[in-house]
Amino acid sequence: MRNGSGSTNTRHASALRGGTAALALIFALACARPVAASDDAPVGARAGLEIATAAAQSWASDAVLIYLENDEALNPGGAATRWGYLFYSASGQKARGYSVRDGHVVTASNLDMKFEAPPVAAGWIDSDAAIAAAANEAGKVFKQDAGGQLSAMLLMRGAFDEEHPDRTTWTLVYTAPNQPSLFVVVDASAGKVRRTWRG
Amino acid sequence: MTTTHHAMSRTSARACGTALLAAATLAITAIPARAATVTEVRVERTRPQNDKPATLRFLRENRDFLRGELDRLREKRVQRDGGATAIDPRFLAYRDMVAQVITERDSVTLAAAAQSQRELLSSVTQLGDLEAQLDQLDRTLAAQRSRLGILQNDFTGDQRTALAIVLSGVPQTTPLSQVAINLEDGSSVSVPLSDAQLDALRKGGAVQVFHGYVEPREQVIEVSLGTGQAASANAGYVTLEPARDRLTLLRLDLSTVRDEGAAAIHATTWLNDARVP
Repeated sequence: MRNGSGSTNTRHASALRGGTAALALIFALACARPVAASDDAPVGARAGLEIATAAAQSWASDAVLIYLENDEALNPGGAATRWGYLFYSASGQKARGYSVRDGHVVTASNLDMKFEAPPVAAGWIDSDAAIAAAANEAGKVFKQDAGGQLSAMLLMRGAFDEEHPDRTTWTLVYTAPNQPSLFVVVDASAGKVRRTWRG
Repeated sequence: MTTTHHAMSRTSARACGTALLAAATLAITAIPARAATVTEVRVERTRPQNDKPATLRFLRENRDFLRGELDRLREKRVQRDGGATAIDPRFLAYRDMVAQVITERDSVTLAAAAQSQRELLSSVTQLGDLEAQLDQLDRTLAAQRSRLGILQNDFTGDQRTALAIVLSGVPQTTPLSQVAINLEDGSSVSVPLSDAQLDALRKGGAVQVFHGYVEPREQVIEVSLGTGQAASANAGYVTLEPARDRLTLLRLDLSTVRDEGAAAIHATTWLNDARVP
């Protein structure tokens, strides 16, 4: 009897816990902020350029884009949920970075190091085109052979291309366990691979 | 619609008689105001802490490598185009617009003088003169509105993200001598308030303490009220996200402040509507 009663109580308690959990779940679902389809959707690097430029122009009227890279993991199509843009003001001799997610600047901070890269040329190809160019060549081979992944892609001018140092280039960095990283440099105007190396 | 407005202003002008000319002169320079959506903003006692996600990690982790690449390939010689550029024709047109304004102001002045001398409308001919004069004023108003539209399009079309902060009211108990504003990008401004400005605040006026470009992102603005030489430590923190390429206005009503400091400020914000009517 006591066992039965205990069993009943246990069932009641179990049912109560179950009901409470269900209510909590319903309450949590009801209170959860509806996530719009566009929230945290991976985008190309150009998607956040306008808002980042507007912010930089408010910071310094002579601000120019000198560098950008993915702030969150890249998907196979070359899109990320957050991109970082670095601007340089010659008059202030300072650089300031803006991290953009879903069309909003989520972080702005001065760069605490000297980095005087030239402004990137206008008309650079977006990250999806750059990754397509790289994937057709060294990137694809590297990933198949060593199980590597694309960990970073950065856009800048004045580096990596020894024959044409004034070119604006995308540099894709593939990493794999126990392997040296693979760097693939893509011309940001022509969309062609210019250089690859391991290091 | 235009005809109705035209007729209404004419009827009104007849009723007002001589006073119209002076009023019309004022109306030429007046910019029609639009209703703006005013939003209350919370002023907090402590600075809100927001987690800032890491950014530009590859650059920070490989700074020496990237700087080395830049230095290795840096071109030493720089060529710049030193040629002159053409003057924007809009700027040349402004001179003509100013001349037109001066001419039309003279016409209005003459009309006002003639009207002041006219004590009695004794004939139909004089009524006709008045009619013609009112038509002239309507044309002057239309021309001025058109010129204002040109100026507004030229200068407000390039609006960057900006913030203007104005004060209203005075603290009920605490004497006030200055206000300090600290923005998140590190810039700050400290505004001493003169007796004339404090008097204006007491009489319902407003004082602008900041007007400048700001970044279009959520940011915390620190407001400190000073009673001596320096702003006091009892700051208030306002979180704003200025809209991109718009002028955001923030009004800080100090009349709600007693001894508790800037956190008791009643803050409201709205966007300036600079569209040409």
